Amino acid sequence: MRRMPEPILEVRDLTVHFYTYAGIVKAIERVSFDVYKGETFALVGETGCGKSVTSRALTQLIESPGRIVGGKVIYHSDKGPIDLLKLSEEEIREIRGKEIAYIFQDPHASLDPLYQVGYQIAEAMVVHNTVKDLKEGLQRALSILKRVLIPDPESRIKNYPHEMSGGMKQRVVIGTGLTNNPKVLIADEPTTALDVTVQAQILDLMNKLKRDYNTTLILITHNMGVVAEMADRIAVMYAGKIAEIGTAEQIFKNPLHPYTQGLLKAVPNPMKRIERLDAIPGTVPNLITPPSGCRFHPRCPFAKDICKQKVPELKEIEDGHFVACHLY
Amino acid sequence: MKLEPILQVRNLKKYFPVKGLFFTKGHVKAVDDISFEIRRGETFGLVGESGCGKTTTGRTILRLIEPTDGEVIFQGKNIMELKGDEMKWFRRKAQIMFQDPYSSLNPRQTVFEVIMEPVRFHGIHVDDPEEFVIKLLESVGLNEMHLYRYPHEFSGGQRQRIALARLLALRPEFIVLDEPTSALDVSVQANILNTLKDIQREFGFTYLFISHDLGVVKYMSHRMGVMYLGKLVEVGPSDEIFEKPLHPYTQLLLSAIPVPDPELAKELKAKRMKVEGEPPSPINPPSGCRFHPRCPFAKDICKKQEPPLMEAEKDHYVACWLYSKA
Amino acid sequence: MQEEYKKGILDRLADFLVIALGSFINIFKRDWKKKNKSKMEEWRLMLYALNRSPPGLIGVFLVLVFIFFGVFGPRLAPWPYNYFPFFDNGTAYLAPPGTQVYLPSHETIMSLHLGADHYGRDLLSLLLAGARTSFVISIVVIVLGVPLGILLGLIAGYYGGKTDELVMRITDMFLAFPALILAIALSAVLPNRLQAFISSHAHLQSFVLWLFGLHMREAGNLGRLLSVILAMIIVWWPAYARITRGSTLTEKENLYVEAARAIGLSSWTIMFKHILPNIIGPILVYITLDFGSVILMEAGLSFLGLGATPPIADWGRIVYDGTQFFPKAWWLIIYPGLVVMLVALGWNLLGDTLRDILDPKTRRSIEFKVKKTKKMEEKEGEENA
Repeated sequence: MRRMPEPILEVRDLTVHFYTYAGIVKAIERVSFDVYKGETFALVGETGCGKSVTSRALTQLIESPGRIVGGKVIYHSDKGPIDLLKLSEEEIREIRGKEIAYIFQDPHASLDPLYQVGYQIAEAMVVHNTVKDLKEGLQRALSILKRVLIPDPESRIKNYPHEMSGGMKQRVVIGTGLTNNPKVLIADEPTTALDVTVQAQILDLMNKLKRDYNTTLILITHNMGVVAEMADRIAVMYAGKIAEIGTAEQIFKNPLHPYTQGLLKAVPNPMKRIERLDAIPGTVPNLITPPSGCRFHPRCPFAKDICKQKVPELKEIEDGHFVACHLY
Repeated sequence: MKLEPILQVRNLKKYFPVKGLFFTKGHVKAVDDISFEIRRGETFGLVGESGCGKTTTGRTILRLIEPTDGEVIFQGKNIMELKGDEMKWFRRKAQIMFQDPYSSLNPRQTVFEVIMEPVRFHGIHVDDPEEFVIKLLESVGLNEMHLYRYPHEFSGGQRQRIALARLLALRPEFIVLDEPTSALDVSVQANILNTLKDIQREFGFTYLFISHDLGVVKYMSHRMGVMYLGKLVEVGPSDEIFEKPLHPYTQLLLSAIPVPDPELAKELKAKRMKVEGEPPSPINPPSGCRFHPRCPFAKDICKKQEPPLMEAEKDHYVACWLYSKA
Repeated sequence: MQEEYKKGILDRLADFLVIALGSFINIFKRDWKKKNKSKMEEWRLMLYALNRSPPGLIGVFLVLVFIFFGVFGPRLAPWPYNYFPFFDNGTAYLAPPGTQVYLPSHETIMSLHLGADHYGRDLLSLLLAGARTSFVISIVVIVLGVPLGILLGLIAGYYGGKTDELVMRITDMFLAFPALILAIALSAVLPNRLQAFISSHAHLQSFVLWLFGLHMREAGNLGRLLSVILAMIIVWWPAYARITRGSTLTEKENLYVEAARAIGLSSWTIMFKHILPNIIGPILVYITLDFGSVILMEAGLSFLGLGATPPIADWGRIVYDGTQFFPKAWWLIIYPGLVVMLVALGWNLLGDTLRDILDPKTRRSIEFKVKKTKKMEEKEGEENA
């Protein structure tokens, strides 16, 4: 049924540790997944599950005290496959922003309050040598604002960030991320700081841009609703490990991992009448001393002896549906 | 069956001055003339987007913020006029639970002190304080091991439970829940919501549940109100509002929620209302109906005259000229 | 990457101290130990943190030495401050360190280890007696000045609005003057009135004399001593009002303050029971550093000829008098200067370390290491068995 998908990113055994005052935080351990060209791939999980760290580690965007301890990130560029983790700081900077762009959660923090938005976009382009001078940059900035459907772009370009609403700012940030027509766009909780009505607009915009420019989108979010609406394929993360990977349909209709099942049952669906939510007992473990074996076992209703001892590997259960659980 | 109201809000207003360099430049009309009632034993949900005034409403009702104008009648008494012992009585009967579990507990107090402080202040007699606190902790899913620990030793969800135990200690009748689970992860959120439901059934509490998360409000509330720019635009039974929203803003809000179900999401997306723009600033709200600049059904009258809250269907009120019989 | 935490002698001492203190309180309050396990654990970790900071330990040592001599100094001094050997034996005049002087009226030999001043007084005895003067002055200034500042800062920060404006403008007025100049002006104006006041209250007068370890004969000199103290209190509180107000403004944004209001607690309870304990940490660091500053400023004022008058032993005054004989009688400048420096250094080292200790991060990191080490030790124990 599926045609052979062409991967654009292959992540293998990616491991990131944070060396903090309290000890080594094993933020992500041996995370592996593929992202295919042109799809929307979602990384889902709760606070501290490592989804943001994973997305940042893809282009070595890990700051001290964090360190990428191991793994490979193969990026299939036009010139052939490269391991992003082997590149020097300079080489990776060339790729980051040009071929792989980021959008972060907080649009307020992404813009400098002291400069007009148009100037900021233009200056970034001058620095990256994508335009000759500021004048050309401002022209490009104008076309970017048009592209992200900001009304009245000619006057908006002269606005300072505080004169814009949150949604407007996030549009600018998205526009800036797309300046160089990146192959991969990584959006880290792009709508979490926004209201639902604005969120819907931004999600629509992202879908439209993705189609227009044939970009691959990696979406990081904790909101199952946003995932259901946007994603083609989903990876569910728990405590720094991938629990399950599959298409949106597989994950929502046939969740295999007990954590995925619990997560889906815990979200109140506004369109259904629910008498009682099924909650997952316990709390997210501390990643300095994660539980042995499967990291979900202390909260898992189906935990067996083996779950405490052996770390489960990702297994393909059905076509393209992987799960890391000893039940299968 | 119509239950008796425990709390009535009448023409409540709260304006915050916007300070210029020397003079007040204007007012943010955070809450602008709203009226509703909350009935004994129910959960009344209050929804709206950020800046719509829902949180201010919750705090003004408890008089944590003094209102600019209006009355709040609690069990027959206008709480804006209460003083001394009567105010103390109100403080005991009405409580609030906050959004942020990390700042709502004093880091220097042990769980025992956190819970006993209100009890001692209100002079409630307790035979064995330790026993009393342990019982409370057990009713919110904690245990005696936690008695003499400090807040930093707990996770976000556990802290919300401690805050909940603090409320329960006073045996209030009315509790404002101000986004109690917004700062928590979904798996923890479900736990807290269930606990809230359980203790409501056990003690017969009345809740005012403030949230921006419509899924949570749908799960929790019996009746709900929708706020937009300081105004209440729709009030009615939750199920009815979710099934058949009357006000165009409510319709927009409901159609914008991402649903955790890919098939349903596709279906709903096709039907989604296309509304451009974002809520305008509450300093200078639009004339007439405040939603008219974004409303696809706006008529002339909407720009000129403010629609009152009218009963469109039984017990279902809406402030919109579309439903005006005149 | 991770270092382990090996318990040293000091850590065992810390364990003992905390347990001893806990047991002591337990005598008066039933079940105190059981209820305050977490608190005792924090204390223990604070002491561990101190033990890992050599400058902090030096600071503690210097401060403890200062406090010891502050309390017992006048008693330990071999010679009283108001005995002038110069009149007994002229050779005592500015006798250099190590000199032995025979005193006919006492029929003994006085060993001047650190030399003598122009009255022939033993410098060591003066320094010991002077410790009391510095100690009492610094405590009185801090104990009276700081709470005033904290109180006003709390009120200004908590109530805000017009109250805040009023209190802070007054504070600003005080802060606008250079503290030293203001203190000089005040200590020049105040003495006579204070003298009159203290002379008319006999009990107070004898109490103050006892406090400073002074003889009745010095009663007439108290006015100038007290004027310096009063002047320093007046210049000291505004800084505290300002930092307390700042912290209060931040702290009152926390929801637990609103929760306390929702319970119905009064503003005073909220200020003192909820806000103050949470902002006291940085203030405590300030206070510690200020002990050093008060001593320095007091010495400075005395050096300018204000404050303590001879024969009252005062470190600053010794230096002031010594300047006339410098460089011949170098010891009159070097030794008191060294003492003042060490004491101020001690308080500063302690203050800086306190800043680290009061930071919960430091404690958590030590807690982690201790636990890890303990776990490893247990494991080793199991393996051995």
